[in-house]
Amino acid sequence: MANILWLQGGACSGNTMSFLNAEEPSACDLVTDFGMNILWHPSLGMELGENLQQLLRDCVSGKIKLDIFVFEGTVVNAPNGTGEWNRFAGRPMKEWVRELSDAADFVVAIGDCATWGGIPATAPNPTDSQGLQFLKRDHGGFLGKDFKAKSGLPVINIPGCPAHPDWVTQILVAVATGRAGDLSLDEFQRPKTFFQSFTQTGCTRNMHFAYKVSATEFGQRKGCLFYDLGCRGPMTHSPCNRILWNRVSSKTRSGMPCLGCTEPEFPFFDLAPGTVFKTQTVMGVPKDLPEGVNKKGYIKLTGAAKAAAPAWAEQDIFVV
Amino acid sequence: MEDQQTTAVSPEQAADDELRARLREMLEGGLQTEVEPRAYDHETIQAVVARLQRLAPDDYENKLKIAGFTLEPWQGADDIEQACETCMYYVVHRRFCELPELMLPVEPEWSCRLWRI
Repeated sequence: MANILWLQGGACSGNTMSFLNAEEPSACDLVTDFGMNILWHPSLGMELGENLQQLLRDCVSGKIKLDIFVFEGTVVNAPNGTGEWNRFAGRPMKEWVRELSDAADFVVAIGDCATWGGIPATAPNPTDSQGLQFLKRDHGGFLGKDFKAKSGLPVINIPGCPAHPDWVTQILVAVATGRAGDLSLDEFQRPKTFFQSFTQTGCTRNMHFAYKVSATEFGQRKGCLFYDLGCRGPMTHSPCNRILWNRVSSKTRSGMPCLGCTEPEFPFFDLAPGTVFKTQTVMGVPKDLPEGVNKKGYIKLTGAAKAAAPAWAEQDIFVV
Repeated sequence: MEDQQTTAVSPEQAADDELRARLREMLEGGLQTEVEPRAYDHETIQAVVARLQRLAPDDYENKLKIAGFTLEPWQGADDIEQACETCMYYVVHRRFCELPELMLPVEPEWSCRLWRI
């Protein structure tokens, strides 16, 4: 039996909504099949008021063993470092986060806000928000770069806006069933099993990417979304086209450019006007190229690929 | 019979060819186009595109002018040759620019200031 406590800081509840839609395994499976005991969750917890405060205090003191502390949302530090803008159970949430993180065997950050600050931490970051162990790309965050939970692992980051429900439940199962040692984390403490490949991996538009055929308007079924419509699929690490959303589709499959929401810089360019859904270029060349590709190579490849493009690559081949 | 079928020109292709020839004629006739400033940053791109959006779809002369078309590739910085054939809006087999604000039959060696690779 693994005790899980889930709290929420500066957030929209999107990751909770995502988690409740999990299928493999489902949120119920966590309890019935994998022996997890959800001590409290913002949308599922029964305790209120003093009972909840007592539960939290017991987790901090060790009276109740806290196996996994899950945090969704940013750690809010405003105003003036006090955290008073996000009070919870009688005190600033940040104080609970610090003490519960120190008490837990494992700490798991769910979603962009908890991992690197996400949208609340976008400049000018009025809530003085931080992720648990990162602020955007900077290692440190609220808990500091040297933080390690009792298990010896740093915060396990499961980013996304929201995170895919199965990423969440599968990592919780791995940890709760004693297989945390099998988890390999990348430089941003994301489980490599989910975040080593690219969003583009498995995208149905890959042939258009290869032959440099661009989608120029939303709703087009042909064409790659990277060249003009700001898709970040080739530079973003996520399995969105391998582990499909709702078992059906993904953003790029349905014609929506990837926004790069599993990367620390999300939302990119601080949401400056004209930067969303538009590929940013410098003298006609994309500012951000597919990972590992340099500018000269990109230009050469584009010329060759366009010259070699078959006629079918320029057609809508998805017949209804 | 088989040869006749494979060389047949579709109505769309014929229309493209006719318009392409008209556009070439305009450019060869000395039509002054806004080759510079190049649309190298977002603001300039948006400004050029906004002007194009105000044009009637068949206002070809002003499309050529505002987009800054040339009959030969533009030599950009870093020795990058900006030609329609490498542009992301160019459809190779139709020899056509699919930028929604242009939608023009072009030649691979032509160029305009909205080029992006």
